[in-house]
Amino acid sequence: MKIRTIVILGTTAIALALISLWMGQQAYTWFPPQASLEAQLFDQLFSFMVSLGTFIFLGVVGAIAYSVLFQRAGKYDTSDGPHIEGNITLEVIWTAIPILLVIWIAAYSYQIYNQMSILGPMEHIHMKNLGIATAATLDPAPEAPAIHPIEVHARQWVWEFYYPDQKVTSTELHLPNQERSHLLLKSEDVLHGFYVPAFRIKQDIIPGQAIDFEFTPIREGRYRLRDSQYSGTYFAAMQTDVVVESPEAYQKWLTDAAASPPVLAYNQAFEEYHRPQNSPRVGWQTVEPAPPPLVNAPSSQESHL
Amino acid sequence: MNPTEIDALNVASSHSLEAQVSAAHTHDEAGNSMFGFIVFLLSESVIFLSFFTGYIVYKTTALDWLPKDFTGLEIHDPAINTVVLVSSSFVIYIAERFLHAKNLWGFRAFWLLTMVMGSYFLYGQAVEWHSLPFGFTDGVFGGSFYLLTGFHGLHVMTGVLLQGIMLGRSFIPGNYDKGEFGVAATSLFWHFVDVIWIILFILIYVWQ
Amino acid sequence: MTNISVETITQIEPPPPGVPENWKRFFSFSTDHKVIGIQYLVTSFFFFLIGGILAMIIRGELITPEADLLDRTVYNAMFTMHGTIMLFLWTFPSLVGLSNYLVPLMIGAKDMAFPRLNAVAFWMVPVFGVILMVSFLIPGGPSQSGWWAYPPVSLQNPTGNLINGQVLWILAVAISGVSSIMGAVNFVTTIAKMRAPGMTWFRMPVFVWTVLAAQIIQLFGLPALTAGAVMLLLDLTVGTSFFDPAKGGDPILFQHFFWFYSHPAVYVIILPIFGIFSEIFPVYARKPLFGYKVVAISSLVITSLSGIVWVHHMFASGTPSWMRMVFMATTMLISVPTGIKVFAWVATIWGGKLRLNTPMLFALGGLVMFVFAGITGIMLASAPIDIHVNNTYFVVGHFHYVIYGAVVMGMYAALYHWFPKMTGRMYSEGLGKLHFALTFLGTNINFFPMHPLGLQGMPRRVASYDPEFAFWNVIASLGAFLLGMSTLPFLLNMIGSWVQGEKAPKNPWRAIGLEWLLSSPPTAENFEELPIVIAEPYGYGKSEPLVANPDALEVIHESH
Ligand code: HEA
Ligand code: HEA
Ligand code: CUA
Ligand SMILES: [Cu+2]
Repeated sequence: MKIRTIVILGTTAIALALISLWMGQQAYTWFPPQASLEAQLFDQLFSFMVSLGTFIFLGVVGAIAYSVLFQRAGKYDTSDGPHIEGNITLEVIWTAIPILLVIWIAAYSYQIYNQMSILGPMEHIHMKNLGIATAATLDPAPEAPAIHPIEVHARQWVWEFYYPDQKVTSTELHLPNQERSHLLLKSEDVLHGFYVPAFRIKQDIIPGQAIDFEFTPIREGRYRLRDSQYSGTYFAAMQTDVVVESPEAYQKWLTDAAASPPVLAYNQAFEEYHRPQNSPRVGWQTVEPAPPPLVNAPSSQESHL
Repeated sequence: MNPTEIDALNVASSHSLEAQVSAAHTHDEAGNSMFGFIVFLLSESVIFLSFFTGYIVYKTTALDWLPKDFTGLEIHDPAINTVVLVSSSFVIYIAERFLHAKNLWGFRAFWLLTMVMGSYFLYGQAVEWHSLPFGFTDGVFGGSFYLLTGFHGLHVMTGVLLQGIMLGRSFIPGNYDKGEFGVAATSLFWHFVDVIWIILFILIYVWQ
Repeated sequence: MTNISVETITQIEPPPPGVPENWKRFFSFSTDHKVIGIQYLVTSFFFFLIGGILAMIIRGELITPEADLLDRTVYNAMFTMHGTIMLFLWTFPSLVGLSNYLVPLMIGAKDMAFPRLNAVAFWMVPVFGVILMVSFLIPGGPSQSGWWAYPPVSLQNPTGNLINGQVLWILAVAISGVSSIMGAVNFVTTIAKMRAPGMTWFRMPVFVWTVLAAQIIQLFGLPALTAGAVMLLLDLTVGTSFFDPAKGGDPILFQHFFWFYSHPAVYVIILPIFGIFSEIFPVYARKPLFGYKVVAISSLVITSLSGIVWVHHMFASGTPSWMRMVFMATTMLISVPTGIKVFAWVATIWGGKLRLNTPMLFALGGLVMFVFAGITGIMLASAPIDIHVNNTYFVVGHFHYVIYGAVVMGMYAALYHWFPKMTGRMYSEGLGKLHFALTFLGTNINFFPMHPLGLQGMPRRVASYDPEFAFWNVIASLGAFLLGMSTLPFLLNMIGSWVQGEKAPKNPWRAIGLEWLLSSPPTAENFEELPIVIAEPYGYGKSEPLVANPDALEVIHESH
């Protein structure tokens, strides 16, 4: 009897573990392309979480399902089940196991987070300059490397990028492949969020702060950059593209852009706000969108929603 | 159910159970009210704690902390005010002792003295507010200064009002037959307001 | 104890004295905790339907990628009001209502400690409900800054009016806070001071423990939100600069105030549901709650942990790395006391004699969905994972699984289980099971697709989205409409059965608990003579009386 229980439990656990591992492998397919080093790390961690989660979920739900299917009271059976108030050993086990699991998950997550290290060296800025009113005057740290970080300027509801070394402005973010990208995130009005799903990274942009942000793109292509922190009426329309290209193509794009005169970029929020309403739709008064920026390099592709 | 079973259980039930039964039957209203009031005060203190935390965060992080052309708060008059408010806590305690001793007039005298001291504190604060060169909307310092002192001032005012009511009630014959919950609660509230002020004084005036 | 004979049913016939067969008392300033409990439940369910209709509009907009059904401002108002109504006008008041009804009965008290305060707290609910509704009608419309009301967006006031949607929103939330604090003081005092003789702490049903744990959270959490709300209101109306970065303020500080309360608030919501699970599983599995003491204590452990995890809502916000790591660890710890409960429920069911009545179905369904949601919660707790899915539909999926899957389902379980006690009538099992099937299907079809959407990077709070997200959104919307429909059999069942259901006996479920020793519904003063409790709460499987004086609890009850 005892041995039988152990065998049954053992086989169930092994079967569950196999299913869970399989689920963990499936998890890699649930995402946009892996376009950054951070995305690789993320997917690894997520796959692990899916495996563990599947195991716990199936274990608990399996037990419930077994009871529901096989331990029902007969129609006229009004007797009670056995009077079992508890079992200390069991309770200790199911307190200890989650504690161990938590330590495991937390340690692994910590490790992955450290490897990503997406917040740059200026992170200490949060503690010092919370109330600063004039973010624009804040230059990158004096000890910054020769290459200045690309500045990301967010405002309602425009993304504008500034390459300080070439004095290029654009509404599309170009990044060289296989190189660590350094960004400086700034907002001029409300909170916004810098989010590129293909990179699996995100950072809120806070007015009055300049936030150093880093990551490494590893796959050429065009990806979506979305505002991830709700910023008012046209929040959903505040999107643009990130273009990851070979360092040569990137340099070429920069020199071309530096040589182009600024033009008025397309801006969806602005467009919508000033579009004549042909169908009278009820809406409420909104904050007026910022005018479209004048940039050297406007987006090469536009999307209209 | 089987009656012998119940009997057995009744016998088994201890003295303490019987004590509880009789206690539950007399049902202690004032005790409940006092308990509830303490719970409320504990919760209320978290509001102050939040404001204090906000103040500390602003003070340690803001770049332009003090408004332009303002060098710091004068501490002399507020210190006197503090002494008055803190001593009133002892005065109200004496008033309570008198009430316990059934000396109604002694109670009223010291109770009234507490009210006078509380009112003096409010007056002193009003004078200070008028003399300050900055307003509510002058930066985070202006905002948090008036928010903290104002919110506390509201509590002092509430305290004085409550004291007024209790004073009035003391003239109703037989008012204390059912206990002194109102007086005890008001006095507790007053101590609470006092302790908050001490922290506030240290944060705003001493730590500059 | 176990043999409830037919005679108890016949004894119901004369209306119990003191309870007028009069519906008007539900519209009066009654101080009877049972009337107030039902008032809370009905009012909050009304607002649940309103919040649900807003959700239907949201899903209507999201069935296509373009922002074509609504103006963007209207969409933003929709999710703001949907979230606000669902939390402040449905979950909190409905749970307070249920607790109001049950706690005094379960601990053997004649009423709450402060009956008048109780009534005042209730009547504030319709007041702030009306304030929120009115904000739809004023120029500029209701608040459109999301239920978090993060500044600076919440400080932008395009109409320039002093009375605007955001101001009314803050006012409503503040009144709700005052009402909740009153309730919390009342519950804590009642549980601490009004227990019947013999009702020691470790004889209290777990539901009472969870209510206590939840209300303690209200006491320490709400004041922080109030502080933040006061500062926000001042910024908005008189022009202070607490949270306005343009004037040197700190918008992140508001986030700390907000989440210091609003994270623990989710445990205010879930804890009583844990209590409901703990009451219902033993009854329908005919076994004692497994590990009663540990389950009871773990509620308080959750209460204390709930106060030190709030930054997990701000991982991607202006928080330094050390803060992210510390709060990641504390957040994950919550799974330990929660796991203890989950395993205890599974062990309670295991080896029992299950009877799948509607309340049991809802409780089981709710448990399964809760485990799923808890696991996605642990994923969110991992900072590097949250960095990707924060503010995406993955989060929306996570919390609707808890909030609809566990909380609303748990609430339904409770409403069915105690319906005979509250109304003196039986509900219809058939309709109940139909309701369960539709709800369970609808919830999963509605909220499961949100997870893949979030993983692929679809942000929340968007009126329009890239066409690649269309597939899962259509499914979610269809699920939502099904879920909307699922409320109809419930309404039909509740109203129909209350009016003309079969009369309910004292204890239709053969449940153990003080409330089941009283007639259905109990008399106004609950207990004629206070019960003398002599046993632990879940004595299934051994025939031992719960109280020493079962025959003295009610006057009309003639002893045999
Ligand atoms: C009742 C509501 C409720 C409940 C109970 C929970 C429970 C939990 N929640 Fe959730 N949550 C919300 C409601 C709720 N949440 C809401 C409304 C939001 C969004 C608000 C907004 O942004 O608008 C949110 C958002 C939210 C976030 C922020 C996401 C973001 O915005 O980026 C996070 C991050 O950590 C989180 C985590 C958790 C965790 C760890 C739990 C844990 O308590 C879960 C614990 C349970 C289990 C883990 C399952 C059972 C345990 C076992 C079977 C033991 C073994 C398991 C392990 C060892 C893992 N939640
Ligand atoms: C208790 C809390 C609760 C509950 C129960 C629900 C229930 C539902 N929620 Fe919501 N939701 C939140 C709390 C809740 N939600 C919160 C806090 C947010 C975040 C807000 C923010 O971002 O600020 C949110 C956000 C949110 C979003 C994201 C919006 C966005 O980010 O853009 C969506 C989208 O699908 C959604 C959908 C739904 C749906 C379909 C339901 C369904 O379950 C609803 C089912 C419908 C009904 C129950 C009513 C049906 C009524 C009828 C059919 C009519 C009958 C009427 C009469 C007889 C008069 N919710
Ligand atoms: Cu733009 Cu948030
Ligand atoms: Cu949380």
